[in-house]
Amino acid sequence: MTEIAVVSDRTSLATSHGQRQRLQDAAFRLSTLFFALVVLTLLGGVIIALVEGSIPALKAFGLGFVATEVWNPVTEKFGALAPIYGTLITSLIAMAVGVPVSFGIAIFLTEVCPVWLKRPLGVAIELLAGIPSIIYGIWGLFVFAPFMQSTVQPFLIGTLGQLPFLEDIFMGPPYGIGILTAGIILGIMVLPFITSITRDVFETVPPMLKESAYGLGATTWEVVWRVVLPYTRVGVVGGLMLGLGRALGETMAVTFVIGNSHRIASSILAPGTTISAAIANEFTEAVGDVYTSSLVALGLILFVITFIVLTLAKLMLLRLQRNAGT
Amino acid sequence: MADASRTMDIRTEVRRQPTGNGAVAGAGLAEKITIRDLNFYYDGFRALKNINLPLYDRRVTAFIGPSGCGKSTLLRILNRIYDLYPKQRAEGEVLLDGDNILSAKQDLNLLRARVGMVFQKPTPFPMSIYDNIAFGVKLYEKLSGDEMDERVEFSLRRAALWDEVKDKLRQSGLSLSGGQQQRLCIARAIAVKPSVLLLDEPTSALDPISTAKCEELVDELKSDYCIAIVTHNMQQAARVSDFTAFMYLGELVEYGETETIFTNPSNEKTAEYITGRFG
Repeated sequence: MTEIAVVSDRTSLATSHGQRQRLQDAAFRLSTLFFALVVLTLLGGVIIALVEGSIPALKAFGLGFVATEVWNPVTEKFGALAPIYGTLITSLIAMAVGVPVSFGIAIFLTEVCPVWLKRPLGVAIELLAGIPSIIYGIWGLFVFAPFMQSTVQPFLIGTLGQLPFLEDIFMGPPYGIGILTAGIILGIMVLPFITSITRDVFETVPPMLKESAYGLGATTWEVVWRVVLPYTRVGVVGGLMLGLGRALGETMAVTFVIGNSHRIASSILAPGTTISAAIANEFTEAVGDVYTSSLVALGLILFVITFIVLTLAKLMLLRLQRNAGT
Repeated sequence: MADASRTMDIRTEVRRQPTGNGAVAGAGLAEKITIRDLNFYYDGFRALKNINLPLYDRRVTAFIGPSGCGKSTLLRILNRIYDLYPKQRAEGEVLLDGDNILSAKQDLNLLRARVGMVFQKPTPFPMSIYDNIAFGVKLYEKLSGDEMDERVEFSLRRAALWDEVKDKLRQSGLSLSGGQQQRLCIARAIAVKPSVLLLDEPTSALDPISTAKCEELVDELKSDYCIAIVTHNMQQAARVSDFTAFMYLGELVEYGETETIFTNPSNEKTAEYITGRFG
């Protein structure tokens, strides 16, 4: 009798324990689901707010908004072409400057660097990432732009600016501030992000895989180019996209050095503007619905550009994967 | 203290060994690699102590011994892959066809083309099967498309993998099974036409059937190459090798013909190890 009682007691204990576990697990699943939904809701909210805010501008100018260069607050005629152009071209320059340097640093850190130098260099990169963008802005305006004006830009105008085809890109007076200056500052700003991500993913390459390549007699360059980069392509593209995302959206530093002019010049030495710089500069002085709405529409366009960039990155990864045959 | 005295015993034995058993064992064979008074240091730690050993051409030499005895370290000296890491240092002489490969003048890339290596785990490169083979070849030779096709087929046939992959050369090397991947790595090493093959526990990550295939392959390959194989599996050493070197605590305890080592070892430590009493 006692034996049976003990057994049944144990079963009931086990059942109640199991029930509690099931409940806990269900609660846990639901709460993670809730957090995931929060992200979707926020994203949806932002999109709705942007679209709703830009309706007056889109009503007034139609799709021509993205193809018009005019930006005239007095006559309330607005077009987004100049900021779009500025955003894309400064980001392009930033990547052209930042990517090779970042790759160089990351490869040096993982493949070549003597042990004693690894830590100081790594810390320096992380510090560079931690500098607030406003500091890049004032440094850009007070130190870098004068240097560009007195040294780099006259040199570019005097050399590349004299060549056929290139003369349009490197002409005009050396203002110091402008598209090129903003692009280079952006390049410096995205550099630590791309570097630290590429370094981290380079370090995930199994030593044995690298040894296999070295063991066949490959040089450091061949190992990096043919083995390390293909092995880490997903992470590397991720790092590039993070850098590009930052370059596209960076506001403060760019606003300081780009010149804030709503014009498209063929020369990259000329002042221009970007979407985020235009919004930051003009929100306080935007009077009238159409002006405000045009700025919101600029924000929507930046959102779309970022989305397109991310999509292209995904497509690129898919193609790389197909080429590698995985 | 007990350990130290044991090491001393072994050392006295070793001094006797190579002149006695070793010289007789390799009589009439060509020495591809000669290791003389080789010492190896990881930072301050002395991992190999006065190693003297020949590796004969067209023969398989197996290195056995408990973990940490220095057998893999020894293998990694033969193509100087240890050079990738700072604070690792080899002293002594390793003669490959009479040239000391430890000299500072040695071109490492050319050395590694002559001495191929296969690792514990398969390490196919993240590219197609074809490109895995062509990778190494392209580093040294400019071959036309046809010649490269031929070389790829030759290497894959030699590694007994051709029939399994000939219809999917453009697929990723990573899509193959573990055993196939390891044979791909062997094919890759063969493709650059080395004269020495180093196999560092090549079957430790493989299932029994793949292991058997790889062992068969080693047996076939030895007609063309000087092969050194590190293994934890004593049956494997007995099956595939002509000569066996038993190492313990960084020292070469006994070296001789495989049959002699396994049936009539002259050192007590060797006898204990091959009968499984330690290690």
